[in-house]
Amino acid sequence: MDDQDLLIQRFLDQDLAPEERVRFLETVDADPRLRRQWLNLEMVLSEAGRLPKIAPSSQFTAGVLAKLDKMPKGFFDRMAELFTVPRTLEWNLTGALATACVALVAVWALVQVRPERIVEVPVAATPAQTVSLSSGQETKVYVRLVLLQPEARSVSVAGGFNGWNPAQTKLERSEGGMWTATIALKPGRYQYMFVIDGKQWIADPLAEEGAGDGFGAQNAVLDVAI
Amino acid sequence: MMVGMPLEPQGGVDEARLIARSLKQDHEAFGQLVDRYATVTINLAYRMVGNRTDAEDLAQETFIAAFKALPTFRADAKFSTWLYRIAANKCKDWLRAKRPEQLDVEVDTVADEQVVEARTPERILSQQQVADHLDRAIQRLPPLYREAFILKHVEGLSYEEMEEILGVNGDTLKMRVYKGRVQLSRELAEFNDSRPPVAR
Repeated sequence: MDDQDLLIQRFLDQDLAPEERVRFLETVDADPRLRRQWLNLEMVLSEAGRLPKIAPSSQFTAGVLAKLDKMPKGFFDRMAELFTVPRTLEWNLTGALATACVALVAVWALVQVRPERIVEVPVAATPAQTVSLSSGQETKVYVRLVLLQPEARSVSVAGGFNGWNPAQTKLERSEGGMWTATIALKPGRYQYMFVIDGKQWIADPLAEEGAGDGFGAQNAVLDVAI
Repeated sequence: MMVGMPLEPQGGVDEARLIARSLKQDHEAFGQLVDRYATVTINLAYRMVGNRTDAEDLAQETFIAAFKALPTFRADAKFSTWLYRIAANKCKDWLRAKRPEQLDVEVDTVADEQVVEARTPERILSQQQVADHLDRAIQRLPPLYREAFILKHVEGLSYEEMEEILGVNGDTLKMRVYKGRVQLSRELAEFNDSRPPVAR
């Protein structure tokens, strides 16, 4: 590259200062050969800037995305997709029946295998709610005793199940003046009384059944069954 | 000067959002980026390899590679520049596989001749003829000159942007562009000479 080449290239790259550009234009004006050389280069640049652009095919972007969809995914991406991508469940009667059978067998197996179970037995309209617990040979039923006594400072229960000893089974106060206790009893029939503040004995006002205590008063009766 | 890939097309914020969504494997968002840069990427590839089918394939490969490499994209960089770099490398890989003897060679003797011709460049030629001839002449440039010339004068990038894309210093790039210009100028002049004179 001689000095004149360098001058032309610097002019084309707009590297010349304004006064250098003026001198360059004066030089090419005085030198036809240099002017021709410069104009040929200018023509190349002008035509290069006007070369026609080709447009992407209509399927170009879809093609890129289709390839992306086929790309193998990383472990974490696959796990995220496993839990987040919505799926459509397709089924037929055979499959549904097979699934139902499997579910039934699974439930039966759970029932058989579980060593102990709790069955809640609600007792309608009675203060004593029972829950039975089967453990080995001995079956016990949990009974929930309830008494509404907002004014009481303590409430306990005495009955056939605790030797009529009110100190043995105390009820706990909960919100609204409700007193409750849950005790485990073998199935059977029990008489009982609530003891208010350690001195006032009353029968369970909501007991379904009562029995005479031989002194003219009534005990509440609780039937415990599984 | 026609400018190729817009440096900050349709707002950097919008583009940053699309990139962020693409990073979360949102293909729809990446599809918008593809739509935005498909034309410039295909045209760069087309000027480099010379045929449309291969150009589209290379452009698609460019976008696939970009998607895979998105986690490495620096937020302070220009997405367009980054994409140009991937596309340029894809084209060079393609050329290396097709014509390994041509790439990575600085052909010093190709264009050092002085351009001397009898006819003036003001000769009237149809635009299509000149464009076709120039396209073919660009294909005959050594790949490194071709790449530099296309980025500078077809895509309209600055030397600073080209340095970033190609990882080559500015003086080397200017020399490659210069040699590309001179060779094309000579070929275009020869083409003019081969044409019958046109009355003006």
